[in-house]
Amino acid sequence: MAGGFWTRFLAAPGLWLLCLFALPLTLTLAMSFGYVDEFGRAAYDSPFAPGALDNYADAFDPIYLPSLVRSVTYALGTTALCLAIGYPIAYYIARFGGRRKYLLIGLLVLPFFVNYLVRTYAWVALLSDEGLVNNALIDLGVTSQGIQMINTPWAVIGGLTYGYLVFMILPVFAALERMDPAVIEAGKDLYGNKLQTFLHVTLPQTRQGILAGSVLVFLPSVGDFVSATLLGGPNTFMVGNLIQDQFFAANNWPFGAALTVIMMIFLTIWMIGYLRAAAREARPAL
Amino acid sequence: MEIFDQRLNRRQTLQVGAGAVLAAYGLSACGSNDTRGEAKFVKPEIDGDLLIFNWAEYMDPLLKKSFSEKYGVEVNEVNFDNLEGMVIKLRQGGGPYDLIFPSGEYVSRLKLEGLLATFDRDSIPNSKGVNPYYDSPWYDEDSNHSMPYTYYTTGICWRNDLVTDMTGSWNDLTNPAGDGRMFILDDFQEAIGEANLLNGFELNTEDPDQIEQSKETLLEQKEFARGFSTNTVQNLATGAALIQQAWNGDVVNTRNQVSNPEDFSYETCKEGIPVGSDTMAIPNNARSPGTALLFINWILDPENAAQNVAWHGYPQPVEGGEQEFQKLVKEEPSIAVSIEELRDKELEFVFETPEGRQLWAETFVEVKAA
Amino acid sequence: MSGGAATAQVPPKVTARARRRRGAPKSFDRPRFLRVFAALVYLFLFAPILIVVLFSFNSQKSLTVMDGLSLQWYEAFLSDPVLRESLFASLQIATVTMVIGTILGTMLAIGLVRSRARWSPGLNILMLIPLVTPEIVAGISALLIFWQLGVKLSIFTVMLAHITFSISYVAIVVRGRLATMGSEAEEAAMDLGATRLGSVRLVLLPGLWPAIVAAGLLVFALSFDDFVLSFFTTGDDVQPLPVRVWSAIRFGVSPTINATGTLMMVVSLTTIALAVMLPRLFGRRESAIKVLTGQEGG
Repeated sequence: MAGGFWTRFLAAPGLWLLCLFALPLTLTLAMSFGYVDEFGRAAYDSPFAPGALDNYADAFDPIYLPSLVRSVTYALGTTALCLAIGYPIAYYIARFGGRRKYLLIGLLVLPFFVNYLVRTYAWVALLSDEGLVNNALIDLGVTSQGIQMINTPWAVIGGLTYGYLVFMILPVFAALERMDPAVIEAGKDLYGNKLQTFLHVTLPQTRQGILAGSVLVFLPSVGDFVSATLLGGPNTFMVGNLIQDQFFAANNWPFGAALTVIMMIFLTIWMIGYLRAAAREARPAL
Repeated sequence: MEIFDQRLNRRQTLQVGAGAVLAAYGLSACGSNDTRGEAKFVKPEIDGDLLIFNWAEYMDPLLKKSFSEKYGVEVNEVNFDNLEGMVIKLRQGGGPYDLIFPSGEYVSRLKLEGLLATFDRDSIPNSKGVNPYYDSPWYDEDSNHSMPYTYYTTGICWRNDLVTDMTGSWNDLTNPAGDGRMFILDDFQEAIGEANLLNGFELNTEDPDQIEQSKETLLEQKEFARGFSTNTVQNLATGAALIQQAWNGDVVNTRNQVSNPEDFSYETCKEGIPVGSDTMAIPNNARSPGTALLFINWILDPENAAQNVAWHGYPQPVEGGEQEFQKLVKEEPSIAVSIEELRDKELEFVFETPEGRQLWAETFVEVKAA
Repeated sequence: MSGGAATAQVPPKVTARARRRRGAPKSFDRPRFLRVFAALVYLFLFAPILIVVLFSFNSQKSLTVMDGLSLQWYEAFLSDPVLRESLFASLQIATVTMVIGTILGTMLAIGLVRSRARWSPGLNILMLIPLVTPEIVAGISALLIFWQLGVKLSIFTVMLAHITFSISYVAIVVRGRLATMGSEAEEAAMDLGATRLGSVRLVLLPGLWPAIVAAGLLVFALSFDDFVLSFFTTGDDVQPLPVRVWSAIRFGVSPTINATGTLMMVVSLTTIALAVMLPRLFGRRESAIKVLTGQEGG
């Protein structure tokens, strides 16, 4: 009886998620087996029809493969950079932030509530050939010509890092927060030096946070198309750009859907890897 | 699985010749907002506020203001970033807009789909000043669906102070002096068209083998490119581009904006250059078609045309507009384009079949993705 | 016992050390490079944003030289009816998303914690997936379903797409709060004659209120700023502000974008400030930032 009452709370949101999330995902999957008919229109096809997997074969065609590889490379680079920037700052605040800890973290989170487009646009203004950074470099005499920073893979990875850094900082910070300072004191007595203490005590205890952060940064980076469009050059086309173009320029929805499914599968593998690692971590702790 | 059976039954109303791109959007148009049927006949009279759908930075805002003051209506503008997007939105019943700016080829498609209103060009006095070529252009033989806005060529703009050895060919896009500082227009027709011409094919070829070859050409050119971009004025003015595939009007515009206009040259390539016209037309579902027609008349007014040309840099084939453009390009005659060039239809973009359009569009994405 | 004592001792030690600039002989003195590093990270995060704000007040069109102060780019924004309309549309979308998303998300959280239905764990997973799905996937899926059903794209379809992801956000935040509350108070209320629904209204909701308000405002800010989902699901008649900004940026940098961006910042940062402040008014001691962010890591 009691269970029945509470189950009623699930009906509306559950139905909503089914109809507007699960069903659309299924539709994307269905579309990925389809084809473009003679009039250029998207048409569904059974997954068992001959040629139903053509879209998937096309995705790994040498002409498109570089975009897929590039997306993964950029996303990995972004994750590494976010870790390299996010861990020390989270560590600094968690350890030495004192009473202002939450204020400091809040300040770090603040920029991420500024629209992502506007933030990326700021980097366009900063990094362009006659932008503020180049002007400063020329004024300082570092270079006379200005350096090309925009329209490069580095600019794209930088833009992604700027965009998603918060997803690394928060889980790492939360993990550091959960640590008992007494454990560190004990580790210090045991290992004597700070580096050893960090490597043997702090780092392993925050591995959960690092894993979570890596996943949270990697997922949106792989599918991003804003950074590559605004900061990239001719050779920074990512799978997000490719998908977007299939829908709005090349008009091949089934192929776009197949690319979307491939991305989803790839990310699911990544997620499962994370969940298993997290479960492994959790066990000895209990 | 029901979704497999639904297929195309609701989409059959789509016109074969026009249904190519994003037919899906058309579906919703059929379902909810029937834009087809008899073309509406429009008279020039104030019948409400005006909503214009145009390229960005393609009309002097002061002209909207003066029109608004004279006739006591509001004039608003929304921009599109490519023509295909505009067509999709029209089919969808978007806006509804009162005035749009399609190229000649798009006029013929929209007309075929019954998306454009008709009018009598003699009902607007300033149509008298329009160049006689437009009495019967190929895309609108009776000249009752559109009035010309501008005409243009596509060529190469380059910095003559930093780049040497330009040869007047589309090959100049791969001039080593512009390595890493070259832009190709982010427009599938212009990009593939240029490669077709360079390879000696017909501009509008739909032969898959030839398109494949042109793809290879574009891939080679891409090695030298900094990006694909229609943002010509900014690329050139900020110095990011030394060599840029460009529409002639944008070159005029760039030269107006920089302190060293003499350093920017424009060449029309010997393999041939695409030419075309942009027009003004009134969608069938416009809310204020009469006001729109009055606005077309306003734009064709000799003084206004001169003012507008000075602002956007493209020639307007109407009294006032032509003269102003001649003034603008006096120092760089290569930017000029004559109406005579338009008569050669070989050099205007036209697709024979929807498959051809699809092939071009997909090929361009492949080039960008590689 | 002894462990507890050690823990209790640590905080004063840390603050004592914080007062001294140079570190104690052994243990965690503040590594100097970390401070410099932290300062650089803050600079990295804030400089671009401050520059957008600064140049929105520039009196000339340049984005590199500040020439004097002026409000002309704000005037340009406000006198453009299309941009005004878009701003209004975005506010509408965010408001509707906040209201419906918060209601559905709260129901979901309560149901998931209390219900014993066999399929509730499955729903739990279904709720989590939207949070880790790249927006482009969600956007394309939404576009396909609207297309399939023949729904004309409009700000209404944008709302539907936004509500979907906001349900999950709200559910996560509210559930975190719910997990810390027992059901004893509700049972007590029912013993005193309240109906089950009455106990929800009188006991459960007041307890959840800080989390609900914080989550709702968070969702408002996310919806207001969202670009990718809006991009795929918007129609053409009225477009959300971020979609307009996108087309504007692609035509090049312009000071009006700076002004637009700054105005958008004001809206979302005000919302976030409210999300932080309001729950405190409910008499809760714990930091709202903790309420909002502590969950994400856990």
